[in-house]
Amino acid sequence: MTTILIMTFTGIGLIGVLGFAGRRKPAADLSEWAVGGRNFGAVSMWFLQAGEVFTTFTFLGMAGLAFSGGVAALYALPYVPIGYMVLFFLAKRLWSLGKERGYLTQGDYLEDRYDSKLLGTVAAVLGVVFVLPYLQLQITGLGLIVQLVTGNSSSGTLSMIIGSVLVVAFVLWAGLHGVAMTSYFKDVIMLIVLGVLLVAIPSHFAGGVSAMFHRIDKLHPEMLTIHAGPADQVWFTTSMLVSAIGVGLMCLPHAWPAVMSARDPKVLRRNYTWMPLYELCLLMPIIVGFAAILVLKPGSSANGILLTLSKQVLPAWATGLVVIAAIATAMVPAAGILIGISSLVARNIARVQGERTQFWINHGTVVAACGLSLLLAIFRPDLLANLLLLTYSGTVQLAPAIALGFLTRRPVGKVPILAGLFVGELAVIWLTFWNKDLAGNVNVGLIGLAANLIVLTLAVPAERLLARRTTPASDKQVAMTA
Amino acid sequence: MRPYHLIPAVPALALALMPFLPFVNTDGLWFGLPRMLVWGAAWCVLCTPALLLTERQMAREGAELTDTTATVTTAEGVDQ
Repeated sequence: MTTILIMTFTGIGLIGVLGFAGRRKPAADLSEWAVGGRNFGAVSMWFLQAGEVFTTFTFLGMAGLAFSGGVAALYALPYVPIGYMVLFFLAKRLWSLGKERGYLTQGDYLEDRYDSKLLGTVAAVLGVVFVLPYLQLQITGLGLIVQLVTGNSSSGTLSMIIGSVLVVAFVLWAGLHGVAMTSYFKDVIMLIVLGVLLVAIPSHFAGGVSAMFHRIDKLHPEMLTIHAGPADQVWFTTSMLVSAIGVGLMCLPHAWPAVMSARDPKVLRRNYTWMPLYELCLLMPIIVGFAAILVLKPGSSANGILLTLSKQVLPAWATGLVVIAAIATAMVPAAGILIGISSLVARNIARVQGERTQFWINHGTVVAACGLSLLLAIFRPDLLANLLLLTYSGTVQLAPAIALGFLTRRPVGKVPILAGLFVGELAVIWLTFWNKDLAGNVNVGLIGLAANLIVLTLAVPAERLLARRTTPASDKQVAMTA
Repeated sequence: MRPYHLIPAVPALALALMPFLPFVNTDGLWFGLPRMLVWGAAWCVLCTPALLLTERQMAREGAELTDTTATVTTAEGVDQ
């Protein structure tokens, strides 16, 4: 136990040190801090983008999902490659607009494309509200990891505090460069650990991966199919679709700084081409999760199964390495999310004059957002849990606005976009919290998106009619063209 | 919409439809692994050749990236 504890806190410290090593001196302006001066090459971009995909949810959650739902966990496999195939086509346009118009955030893009500060602010507020619970999830996950392996809740709390302080410190110092540096470490240790677990756990409990699946096929064949129940085909397909739209149209605000930091669009395209192969790593925790079906009782705590099995199979020092990898999957995405949230507040919500003031508001937001998430993770861990349900389904409502913004001649103005967004969010919130059974197994984000598109489509002729009555013909052309 | 847009649609469709294909969404194993897992992994792998082929087709049609400067100056053109 002492070995694991020592390795845990050494790992947290090491990630902090690596984050600081991302820059020799602190960034002088927000662009340098948030998007690394738009000078990131293929390797840095690769790890930054992978950093967003492989989080605590991937590392611990996928194993848990495979344990409780079998192949239903595979819904998480296709959505990133499908999303990246969309981004492959949009990369050049996205990067060019970002470079030319100086975008740092999703809010900048929407504000500029629709010539609407209101839309920029609304998108930024939605982004912060829906992504803040995701930040808290990373911090809560960090504490949970340490608590699970040490069996001591105070060690979990202490690790959350130290981890959060270090993340804030290196993010303030190094910005996106710090996230990139820690991402290298995170992905290398995560892949080594998952590779070891993939061999060790099935071998120990079932005599190998193939033997393990033959036993599952005999004893629990239902785990090898998507069948009727809460995780049926409708759930699988709609959840995958909503997540793919979210990735493909960059609906999560913290995805923007990484893409805006690319040196040129070729780097982005190359990564989007090869990243689907890297996605196969997701299968490793899923296969480990299948092993738990044979070993643990149904109803065991799903999130902890990867660590539980590791402790049963590996010596203490190796379990310590697993814990360090798990901690990295919490701390590194938390750092990326902080950059996404703070730049949204500084650029699209606070709206102060002067670059220096904007820079300090950004840094203040980093401290405030992480501090708030830490306090909630310690004292009210369930307070934001419901909002977490809205992270994907809520942010995906920005998809129509983002997609139409790519067009040179936009077919809609800001009013239909805002109306659709309002109705889409309302539908998602209503179906998530008040009328939970109405949607059945259909992802509420997709229903919200349908409502959003209907309202948007109906509002377009209304807007044009209004514009025709009030604006001379020559001005209309200007208003509709970006 | 150009023909090369359809190349990545093949793996995308194969992945999206996987729970509805009766020979995939069933018990039994392929190569000692669940059929859904093998199907999903195989089509994920095929996404990369599909995108490489698309890039080649785009280059052939003169839609590939030439250089960064050209990209910035033509920023207002819709990509592909």
